[in-house]
Amino acid sequence: MCFLKMASAYSAIMDLGHHESDCRMRILATIGALNHLRNHPAGILGGGGAVLYVLFIGLPVIALLVQAAQQSDFLGAVTGETAITALRLSLLTSIISMAVVVVLGTPFAYLLARSDSPWARAVDSLVELPLVLPPVVAGVAMLMAFGRNGLIGSGLENIGITIPFTTTAVVFAQIFVASPFFIRAAKLGFQSVAKDFEDIAQTLGVSPWRTFFRISLPLAAPAMFTGMGLAWARALSEFGATMMFAGNLTGETQTMPLAIMSAMETSLDGALAISVMLLTGSIVVLALLGLLTRQPWQGR
Amino acid sequence: MIGREMIVPAASGWVECRVGVFHLETDWVVEPGQVLVLFGPSGAGKSTTLRAIAGLLRPVRGHVEVGGQVVYDGDDGTWVPTHKRRLGYLTQQYHLFPHLKVAANIAFGLPDHNSTVGRERVSELSSLFELEGLEERYPWELSGGQQQRVALARALASRPAILLLDEPFGSLDAELRRTLHRELRSMLVQSPVPVMLVTHDREEALALGDSVQVVNEGRTLVTGNPLEVLGQPGQGRVARLVGVENLFDLRVVERNSRDGTMTCVGPGLQLEVPLDSRTSGRSSLEGDQDRVTVAIRASDIILAKEELAESSARNRLPGEVVSVESRPPGYAVTLNCGQHLRCHITGAALEEMGIQTGQRLWAVFKASSCFLVDQERL
Repeated sequence: MCFLKMASAYSAIMDLGHHESDCRMRILATIGALNHLRNHPAGILGGGGAVLYVLFIGLPVIALLVQAAQQSDFLGAVTGETAITALRLSLLTSIISMAVVVVLGTPFAYLLARSDSPWARAVDSLVELPLVLPPVVAGVAMLMAFGRNGLIGSGLENIGITIPFTTTAVVFAQIFVASPFFIRAAKLGFQSVAKDFEDIAQTLGVSPWRTFFRISLPLAAPAMFTGMGLAWARALSEFGATMMFAGNLTGETQTMPLAIMSAMETSLDGALAISVMLLTGSIVVLALLGLLTRQPWQGR
Repeated sequence: MIGREMIVPAASGWVECRVGVFHLETDWVVEPGQVLVLFGPSGAGKSTTLRAIAGLLRPVRGHVEVGGQVVYDGDDGTWVPTHKRRLGYLTQQYHLFPHLKVAANIAFGLPDHNSTVGRERVSELSSLFELEGLEERYPWELSGGQQQRVALARALASRPAILLLDEPFGSLDAELRRTLHRELRSMLVQSPVPVMLVTHDREEALALGDSVQVVNEGRTLVTGNPLEVLGQPGQGRVARLVGVENLFDLRVVERNSRDGTMTCVGPGLQLEVPLDSRTSGRSSLEGDQDRVTVAIRASDIILAKEELAESSARNRLPGEVVSVESRPPGYAVTLNCGQHLRCHITGAALEEMGIQTGQRLWAVFKASSCFLVDQERL
């Protein structure tokens, strides 16, 4: 599942800049393509693959909703203390993570987009590491760094700062796994802004600093919103690294994915309720950010 | 700001730039209200010069003055950043900011764009460039000509001390280009600023230029009056760069000082050309002075089916049509008269005469249509 999600996220990043919103055109184009492929072996295989894929992804989602709806006390489970506490913690931590990622990641992404030094390229490939690193390994690695006996964790402990198994650790884990999705998208967004626009802005008497806010940022914004959507979804669903580095303490480190796992051990109802909440939340976040990725100035 | 006419000083300077292996050395002086055309093939260093003046590129050495202010000096380290140089810079791709509407694009460089003064300046420029009613449109909703007008209005909004135009009309059709030339000219009368225009279009250089600087491979070949430089350019390299279609290396066999002409011959070719001033009156027929390069513009040649023996034209050459190519708005006919001669004619002439490959025709032109260019000593 994790791999599938990563693959789709990857393709979404690669797809930046092709924001075709006109669904009818898309469907017409698809039909045209299918007609064209009717007598082609790839058409039959591809069509079969498409049907299987839709069932494979759609069925579990529908099953989840159907099973949840059949529960005796769905509302009770949704408003139950475990669920609400986990929801609150998930929202809090993911919002903090996103704020950190966007505020620090945006200038960083701009630098990566504009610099052609070998250092920038080296750092650029480092950004991809969390995408391929299993989250559990990320959790263990962070424990080795910030844990009580970790590389800098012991030093932090001495001045009274404890990171592992706290809410801070949850945020750390989320930033670790989610940041590449935003940084990569923002970098591509900035790369799509021709340097000429910035040059022209400066010849018009606008300082480089103001040019960034008046030209580069708004022009890269649609790509950045796409990256935010992906990063946020990733942060909300973060499980492995959190489990390892932050633990599973109710109200402190037990985010929704962890709450689902805990609930599974006692009652399926609770797990279903939180799963539906998480599913709904993810769809809402993606839809909202999807709206922002279309700007009237982009035309057509 | 409205109505206040500022007297803008001349723009001048020299720079030496290095971009990779490309090396540029150039200098310029432009009076306010005058247009200096930088003319040359692509890669000659024209755009690099403009970028150096704009501060988008750092020269190796040099001295640049804009609006009476030293904005760059290699010796004392003076460097004024681009946004403080008071420029108007225009590119072929317009580069209108896609996320801003027309009015916001024009007002982009105005420090007080939201004040009454700023709004008045925008509406003043909108009416000057016939953009009324388009203020609330996004750039993608405009035609090419409208986009270029917005770009011009935006560049002029904050009253620049120099206007740098990098092939700004290159992607427009001929008609629209002429209209914009006129508008630019009348704008210069209203608010005289020094203008530097990069182009490789002869017609544009002749229509807009007060002086022309021919640039090639990072060097200035010649600076002067557009008609002289582009009409009958004196140097072989310049002649080739400005597109003189016919160039012949010939030998002088006879000088006729009474008529002010001389007879030159080359392989398969004999021409009557104007007497060269260097050697007029001298009868010595030795050494390098016998060798001349003669140029004739393709549009100065008349094609005829007969010899036109009773005409005043001193050059009448018979030849066979080698090729006929379309060259909008007319056609280019190549005639083999011993050497290949290129002639430009209109479509109507082509049809009327029924010109075809292999046909025998006469090429007719006056001695004064020929001009001498220096041997390539550059």
